[in-house]
Amino acid sequence: MKRYVLLVVAIGFLAIYLFPLYWMYLTAFKPSSETFTYPPSFWPADPQFNFVRVFIDKKMDVYLWNSLVVACGTTVIAALIGTGCAYALARVRSVWMDLVLFLILMMQVLPPSLMATPIFVLFNQIGLIATPRFAVVLAQTAKVLPLYIVLCRTSFMQIPKELEEAARVDGASRIVAFFRIIVPLARNGILVTSVLIFLQSFGEYVYSRTLISQEDLQTATVGLMNFMGPNTTDWNGIMTYAVIYVTPIVIVFMLLQRKIVSGLTAGALK
Amino acid sequence: MSALLRSLRDGRGFDVALAALALAYLLVFSAFPLVYNVAMSFQEVDMFSLGDLIRPFVGLANYRALFAAPEFWSIMGNTALFVSLSIVFQLAIGFGLALFFQQDFIGATYLRGLFLAAWIIPALVAGAIWKWIFAGDFGVLNYMLMSTGIVNDKIFWLSTPAISLYSVIIANIWLGIPFNMILLSVGLAGIPKDMYEAAALDGAGPWGRFWHMTLPMMRSTIGAVTCLGIIFTLQQFDLFASLTQGGPANSSNVAQYWSWQLSFQNYDIATGSAVSVLMLGFVIVVALLYVRSTRQEHRA
Repeated sequence: MKRYVLLVVAIGFLAIYLFPLYWMYLTAFKPSSETFTYPPSFWPADPQFNFVRVFIDKKMDVYLWNSLVVACGTTVIAALIGTGCAYALARVRSVWMDLVLFLILMMQVLPPSLMATPIFVLFNQIGLIATPRFAVVLAQTAKVLPLYIVLCRTSFMQIPKELEEAARVDGASRIVAFFRIIVPLARNGILVTSVLIFLQSFGEYVYSRTLISQEDLQTATVGLMNFMGPNTTDWNGIMTYAVIYVTPIVIVFMLLQRKIVSGLTAGALK
Repeated sequence: MSALLRSLRDGRGFDVALAALALAYLLVFSAFPLVYNVAMSFQEVDMFSLGDLIRPFVGLANYRALFAAPEFWSIMGNTALFVSLSIVFQLAIGFGLALFFQQDFIGATYLRGLFLAAWIIPALVAGAIWKWIFAGDFGVLNYMLMSTGIVNDKIFWLSTPAISLYSVIIANIWLGIPFNMILLSVGLAGIPKDMYEAAALDGAGPWGRFWHMTLPMMRSTIGAVTCLGIIFTLQQFDLFASLTQGGPANSSNVAQYWSWQLSFQNYDIATGSAVSVLMLGFVIVVALLYVRSTRQEHRA
């Protein structure tokens, strides 16, 4: 009996906590006349489906495409560079590797809003500002690469060393053993970490706002900021935009929830 | 040459090359900007000298201008308040929830994981949602507070100077709870169950067990989570951008937002980089403390 009471209380906590998300979905479905009533309604009396209109009016196809470009670029570069490093850090124990790990941990903590100033000046000097989305990808990769390495490293550490040694006895070189044996075995960890990096970069704001000046290259976060403006009243439109933007993220998260949580808990504290 | 190639393909060189690749990337795109930033903070940087490599050296003038700025101390105070209040409440609420979900009932792990849904959405979107919740006239928060009789008049959460910072703190606490809860749950799961059983046999009540067993056992976890909390709280930018933009009149401005504003809205890049150097130095000190605390855990 006590366990059911606990379950009900737990659902209660979750409902209170996730109320802001409910409010976002609710507002997106309300007509504007119903949004500005007092007292507010907690269930839409006359549900609206403005998704297509907002999507077209606010040029969300352009914004979302740019966010997708930034997120894909970041994930690909981080995975290409980071996977091998995570493996080396998991496999080799030496003072030098400890130093590398330490440096990587240090670079994980630098706040993007503080790094934006030097990165902007630097990228401006070497001409990277001319390809702004690529510039954002480079800056964002530097931000997420340490996290990628730290999380992937834990999944490489779980692979027994003997498997690789057996392949080496059979005559495989280290490159072959890495690509044929190690990476396939760590596939799950690599995939989950990549998804996490992708989702984070899909919501990137500071670097996009700082480095991209052309309207048609800006990301969905900047688009949402432009929509909000200083004296906004179109809350239905804004929440509709937010719903279109966030729903795919929430769905991917729900599908991979268990793996993301266990990956985070294994890597984050070590 | 062939020996080097063989080592790269099939020996120690393989590990070194893999580690060096990522490290080189980070040195170019993180460490170098960091050093460059320190250099810029001692130079005169304006829109005309932006493209130059050699700029006039001005010594500590940027820092002197910074300390003399009328808003400097209030913004630093705001930053301290933002960080400390956010962490205290994230930690307390996260700890409470972690303890609750530690109990044995159906779906405990699954429901606990769902809290992270708030953590995974872009912080800017979370800011947009909270801006709508905080809205003065039609915001749902004012409605709830007034209908339950907690307050009598509408509170203008984002436009009242005395309140605006606390509104951002509330939104930031909301964002940070799931991460704190998950990390603290890991620490709680590491405490052996039979210790509690033994303590219960000896007649220790739930409070006694919490104060004399859970808290001491969790000390290193709480230390690590606090360090991570400071680091993540100082990374918070999106909430300020979407909720108050530091206003009204800098009442809710914090160092990491101010630095960006100085550089990209006032085009005062030299002062912006000076603020940035101060805060980056602080973050790095906290990170060193964090790495030290996890090291000790490994040895123990």
